[in-house]
Amino acid sequence: MKANLFDQRHALSWLLVAVVFGLLLSLQLNSSPSAGTVTMVDGRSGTEVTVHRLENEQEALKARIGQLRQDLANYQRQTAATTELLEEISAELDYHRAIAGLMSAQGPGIEVTLDDSQRQTIPADQDPSAYIVHEYDLRDVVNLLWLAGTEGIAINKERVVGVTSIYCVGSTVMVNDTRLSPPYVVHAIGDPDRLEDFVQNPSYLAKVKEKARRHGLIFQFHRSSSIKLPAYKGSFALRYAQPGQ
Amino acid sequence: MSHRTSQVMLTATTFLLGLLVMAQFHTHRLTSKARAFASSADQSVILSSLVEANASLRAEIEALEAQLDRYQDAGSSGMLETLVEELNRIKIVNGLVQVSGPGIKVRISGPLNALNVQDLVNELRNAGAEAIALNGERLVLWSAIAVDDQGWLTVDGVRTASPYLFHAIGDGETIETALLRSGGLIAVLEHSYNDLQVTINRSDKLVLPVHRHPPELLYIQFKE
Repeated sequence: MKANLFDQRHALSWLLVAVVFGLLLSLQLNSSPSAGTVTMVDGRSGTEVTVHRLENEQEALKARIGQLRQDLANYQRQTAATTELLEEISAELDYHRAIAGLMSAQGPGIEVTLDDSQRQTIPADQDPSAYIVHEYDLRDVVNLLWLAGTEGIAINKERVVGVTSIYCVGSTVMVNDTRLSPPYVVHAIGDPDRLEDFVQNPSYLAKVKEKARRHGLIFQFHRSSSIKLPAYKGSFALRYAQPGQ
Repeated sequence: MSHRTSQVMLTATTFLLGLLVMAQFHTHRLTSKARAFASSADQSVILSSLVEANASLRAEIEALEAQLDRYQDAGSSGMLETLVEELNRIKIVNGLVQVSGPGIKVRISGPLNALNVQDLVNELRNAGAEAIALNGERLVLWSAIAVDDQGWLTVDGVRTASPYLFHAIGDGETIETALLRSGGLIAVLEHSYNDLQVTINRSDKLVLPVHRHPPELLYIQFKE
């Protein structure tokens, strides 16, 4: 009986069973990361579809804010030109709007790029999270650029302003409540020599540089004669703060 | 080797091959899995933060439209008031005016490093702080937290040390909840430093000073 299991006829069946089993196991294990989400026909979950819809809406709202701010500024300048006092205040307002990040800007500076490691395999004893760019890496870069005297910063075309927080949800980086994905390109306007000196200096960005060296995290920078920064198009809602005492 | 045995060997080999192919695929996907597609829980958080962000964008549009209406109705006579109001608002954001309001006082005593302090400031901003000061220095967009060559922590070039006293104007309850949530920043810091002491007090009125280092603009050109 036992011998019959392995005769020539059965051998082909065993072969098929083995192949199918191997493939099934492979499929099973590979699909496990997405287990737990409801997958739609196009491969995206219901939530993902809603997130995309909200992101499109956010883009439209920001465009509207940009347009309204421009109209207001034009109107302000036209009307203010009629009296000296108004003109003075209007000029002061323009200065404060500019340094707050409400105007687009241009100038020489530096471009810093951070991206996840492209390594295909991660040794078993290594932490996979050391191979990707985290929100604190971006915060460290932004902080260093301010330290180096930069005059304006944007990350993936999101202008960094006073109310900007750089945070993460899972491994998704959010800036100005907008979802960013790698590569992260940080643009900064300022003295290119000084900015480059600071970025290169081994005593700064130690963690990022170590991950680049040991885990292949991508960290590149180059000076540029023309960096362009978009205007901030989000809100500056102040509900609690009042000027003065 | 008999024919039968070779069939068995072939079968076993094919099975192993299947496993190997699987293992190979598995490894290839590791890097992308470290940056996994957001889990459904993460997606809900992204979703709710987008809903909230879009609501505040809509409120901003309403405020801007109202401002434009006021300009058009009042002409230059109503302009002065509107301009001064707007100027004060932007100056608060820029930290170039003294500011007051309700908020929260966070006192942290312990060996924090520059990254910890950056994280704390970011957490306060993320929780909606409208103005922040650290040990009496107003923090603004261009503020930098660093360590000088003698190991001192510096805020905009001014040396500072533990205890770190943060004053933040904003919704005290929201900020406190954000700081103290389980797995939140304070919990992480307490885990990193055994001797950390954290005291949080809400306040009806805080007064934060003017930022003392306005930016030097030498390279940037602004355009509308």
